[in-house]
Amino acid sequence: MIRVQELTKSYGAHAVLRGVTLEVARGELAVVIGASGSGKSTFLRCLNGLERLDGGAIEIAGTTLVPGLAPEEEERRANALRQEVGMVFQQFHLFPHMSALANIVEAPVHVAGVSPAEARERALHLLERFGLAAKARSRPDQLSGGEQQRVAIARALAMQPTVMLFDEPTSALDPRRAGEILRILDALADDGLTMVVVTHSMGFARKAADRVHVFHEGRVIESGPPEEVLVNPREAATRELLELG
Amino acid sequence: MLTLALALLALQAPSDALEAIRARGAFTWGADEEGGGPYLFPDPAEPSRRIGFEVELADALALELTRELGAPIAAQFAQGPWDKLPDLLKTGRIDLVLNGYEWTPERARDMAATLPYYVFELQLLTRADAAGASWEWLASAPPKQVGVLGGSSAESYLAQRCPTLELVSYDGNTNAMGDVVSGRLDATLQDLPIALFYRAEFPELAFTGAPVAPGRYVIYVRRGEQRLHTALDRALLALRTEGTLRAIDERYGIWTAAQENTEYLSLPAASDEAAVEAGFFARYGVPLLESAGMTVLLSLLSFPLAILLGLGIALGRLYGPRLVAWPLTLYVEVLRGTPLMLQLFVLFYVLPNAGLELPALGAAVLGLAVNYSAYEAEIYRAGLQAVPVGQMEAALVLGMSRRLALRRVVVPQAVRIVVPAVTNDFIALFKDTSVCSVITVVELTKRYNIAAMTHPSDVLPLAAMAAVLYLVMSYPLSLLSARLERALRA
Repeated sequence: MIRVQELTKSYGAHAVLRGVTLEVARGELAVVIGASGSGKSTFLRCLNGLERLDGGAIEIAGTTLVPGLAPEEEERRANALRQEVGMVFQQFHLFPHMSALANIVEAPVHVAGVSPAEARERALHLLERFGLAAKARSRPDQLSGGEQQRVAIARALAMQPTVMLFDEPTSALDPRRAGEILRILDALADDGLTMVVVTHSMGFARKAADRVHVFHEGRVIESGPPEEVLVNPREAATRELLELG
Repeated sequence: MLTLALALLALQAPSDALEAIRARGAFTWGADEEGGGPYLFPDPAEPSRRIGFEVELADALALELTRELGAPIAAQFAQGPWDKLPDLLKTGRIDLVLNGYEWTPERARDMAATLPYYVFELQLLTRADAAGASWEWLASAPPKQVGVLGGSSAESYLAQRCPTLELVSYDGNTNAMGDVVSGRLDATLQDLPIALFYRAEFPELAFTGAPVAPGRYVIYVRRGEQRLHTALDRALLALRTEGTLRAIDERYGIWTAAQENTEYLSLPAASDEAAVEAGFFARYGVPLLESAGMTVLLSLLSFPLAILLGLGIALGRLYGPRLVAWPLTLYVEVLRGTPLMLQLFVLFYVLPNAGLELPALGAAVLGLAVNYSAYEAEIYRAGLQAVPVGQMEAALVLGMSRRLALRRVVVPQAVRIVVPAVTNDFIALFKDTSVCSVITVVELTKRYNIAAMTHPSDVLPLAAMAAVLYLVMSYPLSLLSARLERALRA
């Protein structure tokens, strides 16, 4: 479903990604861990075209991203893959001028061309599934952080993506709310969605991940099932990360 | 208490003006250089020097006063806006008003008038190639458009004599003449000295019919300055008898037979005082209300246009390709960096030379909209930049195009941010509509100025009335914007 080869990305003289190679199979839940500044968030942003790549190639949900594309072509491909790939941010980024319901209905109606009535029904269904049926009319600033993140996940799911990217979805939340979100991710994985989750939560990685990828200084230094990578790490950097976690 | 008040009064009471002039060795005469020839204008050969028949008259008067007072007296020029000269006189900043001011009973009640120094008449000017132009033609159908100086005797003369005419009120003389040449106007009625002086510059214009409606140019001094008044009268009489006045007039080509019409060489009896005038509100209320309507119309037409233009410009500057962003930056800088008055002037008087002729109202609305669009653009740019980058990214990852993301997500948030600044600009534009008088659009401020000039004794109630009208119009705007802000925040 996702194939990344020798991906490089620099900001000026600072190389953030130094050749990332990684694969995610259909229906797999991949967890990406690594110290702050190891390049894991940049990697995730490259996956759906929010960052332009400098070298290597990304193949995701049938679209290929390579460097040096003409701006229009790049825009076209990014837009095409975003129809298939949803993303959830650490800071939620809900639209503050719309109600929770309107946030979820927005893209299906204006991007996918779903009829407002159907989009609304789908959105209410998602809200109910996430325990937010009573909050449909609330504005984002009237919701708690955990509620906002649940709405953000619902907003992404409303576009019925085949791949979901999560960029530290629990880092802005207290442990209890974080637990709620992780349970939702777990449930989504059971539905067969392909997911890439960047997180600091080792517990989640251990329990839910199909594969764990460890980022260190812009490279993947170790990949494998959690019981391997998290129990018997090969690399010193991984051990250090686990001790801190 | 009373003694204190009297003492203060004594301190404030101006000492005799003539004495003060003798002590200073100069009198200060107020005039407006912008009025141009033949009254007072920069010497074409040496623009830092002022010439004109009133400059020479002031110098000749200085000479006469020197003789009378036995001490050297010089004439000192003070620049002031023409319609505000009586106010400058009353506050003591100038000693006399000497600038083509006609004797009128209203002014004579407010200030003291000397003997006339020039007998002017009004001259009708039409295009030389307009066949059959005459006063009868002017009064015939269809209604003709005639340019006049706002608040001038020509305006009131035409309003009385030919009520069917469409009068267009100008700030300067030559603009109206130019607009007759270009065909925007059918005719203009000018003070004869002006028509004579500019005759050579406008060969396309013809003097139509004999001059009409003689009147007196007089010097005004403060009421109660009896000694200065008498000294000036005596000096003027001497200059007339010696032939100095005629020599000056002839140098500027404005000597006419009317200068020897004895009826106009003295002032009318003060019986005009008895003329009963209509009530204050009947005289000013309706015209002021009408021009307040014009103020509202200008604001309501131009501001929405400014907002749309400004938003487009801000989006182009922030999200457009460099080829679009750069010219837009230039647009904003040029329009913010030049005065609105100049921009209106270009739209109305310069563009017709390039074949684009706009009606006055159209030019005013366009000028205001274009000028304010530059300010709106900067406000929107700041507002758009204040929306967090994450909002655009969240919209993009949902599959929106940049355009759709702007329309649905970023712009609606920016609008909420800029509401207070935009309302503020609207009130500013509302008051800036007064600048449109330079292109013959008469709105509230212009109407007030005209009324205040023709009836100087009513200045205070007039000003109060204009101020109340402005407030009555702008206060609901403030209320409306406060509601809008609350509604958008909720």
